Amino acid sequence: MEQNNSLPPFPQGLASPPGAMTPGLPLFSPMMPYGTGLTPQPVQNTNSLSLLEEQQRQQQQQQQQQQQQAASQQQGGMVGASGQTPQLYHSQVSTTTALPGNTPVYTTPLTPMTPITPATPASESSGIVPQLQNIVSTVNLGCKLDLKTIALRARNAEYNPKRFAAVIMRIREPRTTALIFSSGKMVCTGAKSEEQSRLAARKYARVVQKLGFPAKFLDFKIQNMVGSCDVKFPIRLEGLVLTHQQFSSYEPELFPGLIYRMIKPRIVLLIFVSGKVVLTGAKVRAEIYEAFENIYPILKGFRKTT
Amino acid sequence: MAYQLYRNTTLGNSLQESLDELIQGSLNTYRFCDNVWTFVLNDVEFREVTDLVKVDKVKIVACDGKNTGSNAPE
Repeated sequence: MEQNNSLPPFPQGLASPPGAMTPGLPLFSPMMPYGTGLTPQPVQNTNSLSLLEEQQRQQQQQQQQQQQQAASQQQGGMVGASGQTPQLYHSQVSTTTALPGNTPVYTTPLTPMTPITPATPASESSGIVPQLQNIVSTVNLGCKLDLKTIALRARNAEYNPKRFAAVIMRIREPRTTALIFSSGKMVCTGAKSEEQSRLAARKYARVVQKLGFPAKFLDFKIQNMVGSCDVKFPIRLEGLVLTHQQFSSYEPELFPGLIYRMIKPRIVLLIFVSGKVVLTGAKVRAEIYEAFENIYPILKGFRKTT
Repeated sequence: MAYQLYRNTTLGNSLQESLDELIQGSLNTYRFCDNVWTFVLNDVEFREVTDLVKVDKVKIVACDGKNTGSNAPE
């Protein structure tokens, strides 16, 4: 786990940045790694929207720095490292306000890691990675299909046109279910990763092809991704719905979980008293990770203490 | 309950009950077409009070309606 790398490693080339010797250096200068040295103050305002805007600004600045130092950094890569937690998307709740007269970073260029440690390391990274549970994808096989033929000749298929106008087929590996329509379009559900979903869809297409249809594999697209994780502490949902009214809906008589509709990224989270969180609505894996990193500090603020 | 199955499939999130059977039990294949269910099971024990019959493969064909489903072991 790269828990210590939530901040970009201190760039060796900037041991003595030209602008750094001047006290009162503006914190958000691109030459300074974000959050170095000065004690960050946790944000008191837990308004999700302003937090998100702040995080956006911080992410943009971080991204600017990352792009400049991409070659020398371990984690110069942005999105796309599948399976890796994109450290860039960690919510930086702590705003580093410039404290007068505090210049530890300027005096210790030889110990690059020391100045970077913020006063509240826990807010930099949750250390928890949401696990993907379900991926829904669609693909067009590009030809009309005779569903009855498919249902009669393929294994593990169901077809009840009176109830539902598609063949429901399942394969063991990857364990998935497909809905195959007579138009040639297909929905594939149940996979645990993007690659598995694509592989499963290809397997279904091959089954259809072997039955004699000129199946192609057009416009494969992942439509929805679902992830889940556990923050490992109980949560005060009542408090959360009071302060985040514009995003939350909590009706314990209807459903025991709080439904949090995050704006950026556009993800819906189901948050439970136990501390378990379900995230859905993502088109890419990074959105799930980003949404969780956004919600984690908020949830920490509503941890149950009894 | 039948509605429940199809509510799940129209949402595209079926429970994969059959696959769970595949993993736990000995269901080889299943098919449902024209309101007829066809199952192929492997390594099945038919247990009655006195007898015990073990087969490697059994095909079950089951129809809806007043008549009971037919059973054709192989």
